[in-house]
Amino acid sequence: MRHPFLMSIASLVAVAAIFALTAEPAIGQTAKAAPAAKNGTQPKTPWGDPDLQGTWTSDDCIGTPLNRPANLGEKLYYTEEELAQRQTQLARQQENDRQETVTPGQRVGTGPPAHWGERARRPCKQTSLVVDPPNGRTPDLLPEAKTRRIPEGAGNNNPKADSWEDFSYYIRCITRGVTGSIFPVIYGNGQQIVQAPGYVTILQEMVHEARVIPVDGRPHASPNIRSYMGDARGHWEGNTLVVETTNFLGDRTGIAGNGGGTPTSDALKLTERYTRTGPNEIRYEVTIDDPKTFVAPFKVAFPLTQEPGYQNFEYACHEGNYAMFDSLSGARALEKRAAEAAKKK
Amino acid sequence: MRKTLVAVLAAGGLLLAAVPVWAHHAFAAEFDADKPIKYKGTVTKMEWINPHAWIHIDVKGEDGKVTNWMIEAAAPNSLLRRGFTKESLLAGTEIVVEGFQAKDGSNRANGSVITFTDGRKLFVGAPANDPGAAPGTTSK
Repeated sequence: MRHPFLMSIASLVAVAAIFALTAEPAIGQTAKAAPAAKNGTQPKTPWGDPDLQGTWTSDDCIGTPLNRPANLGEKLYYTEEELAQRQTQLARQQENDRQETVTPGQRVGTGPPAHWGERARRPCKQTSLVVDPPNGRTPDLLPEAKTRRIPEGAGNNNPKADSWEDFSYYIRCITRGVTGSIFPVIYGNGQQIVQAPGYVTILQEMVHEARVIPVDGRPHASPNIRSYMGDARGHWEGNTLVVETTNFLGDRTGIAGNGGGTPTSDALKLTERYTRTGPNEIRYEVTIDDPKTFVAPFKVAFPLTQEPGYQNFEYACHEGNYAMFDSLSGARALEKRAAEAAKKK
Repeated sequence: MRKTLVAVLAAGGLLLAAVPVWAHHAFAAEFDADKPIKYKGTVTKMEWINPHAWIHIDVKGEDGKVTNWMIEAAAPNSLLRRGFTKESLLAGTEIVVEGFQAKDGSNRANGSVITFTDGRKLFVGAPANDPGAAPGTTSK
């Protein structure tokens, strides 16, 4: 205990070893957990904690916007009729995905090709990921937050690319932050939960963060110790895992898919709640409270599900990140073209 | 000519703005919407790396000269979930690629549409249709 940092390194190594040993039986764990919950009871670990172990995914809300379109007002849930329509759309999408040949004359677009995406298995019931405030929209930014630079993300056709540091931490394969690692995106939404006495670890597939969360009642680390993913402490409220995360470095990632958007500050406090609502479903909720960024706290929620055969895969990203090379060399090429054009004038 | 280029790039920017922010990194930064390519080539290797797999192909020009191109494909993890494996695309296979060339003019392109020479798509199938999906599913 004299060296809590070393202790957490040691536990990280221990948990990594557990991952190595249990990579295969992950699906078995899923099957084992299911019968207990079917009886209306919550599965427990051998040491008595609620058992959330397994590999979960936020796939079902792929494409659901963080902020609700204004015309939907305070309508959080789709009607049964609208869900049926969305189900039809999903079925059509799956049908298209299984077409063996390309439609003749298909336009080749610049967006991500269809085969890149992973798919929702059932319609997301929500109109937005933000569930509170009632308008389903992220509260306004404070003036000080508006001056923060948003690192270059995906949608800019002509990004500032003087250096790799101009790009987002996600594009650099460094981190997506806590919420950016769990909010549904077009692929790689896996979350593997592994528990040990006193710990819950969540291994997130894309960019591959392992959050080692003590649930033994210890206090937060000193406020001097700060990181991209913050300092997480968990406890159980009934069958709900509550995780409070503080000690963020700040000015790294934002509250959107893959950590995009205006970066949050070092005052960010996240309170997450993981509640098993069925044998194969967890209700995930996170309250985002950053008094240096947003005018008010707000809440995001969506389901995580277990799916047959679904597992996390390895995600070493930096080594093969040709996209970074291409982005920088592309910017240099554009500069050269501009310089040559200027000379000709 | 250059004005046209700028106009096309600007139009591309508008199109891309409609893509959700989580629609992956960097088509915009990496590739040139004004340089579409379509090549038939022979696979020399496939790099199974994150964040995206890359397929290397040899393309024979009209003059008989062979050039090697690198084609960006989906994330390996997404390909695995579609049932694609390391054995699915072996060296020597002929494929057709449509996409856009790297902005720096090198022989790299994204693979918007990748097919075998008979028109069959390389990447078929969705992971969403697992038989025996979880209770509450409507996809059965």
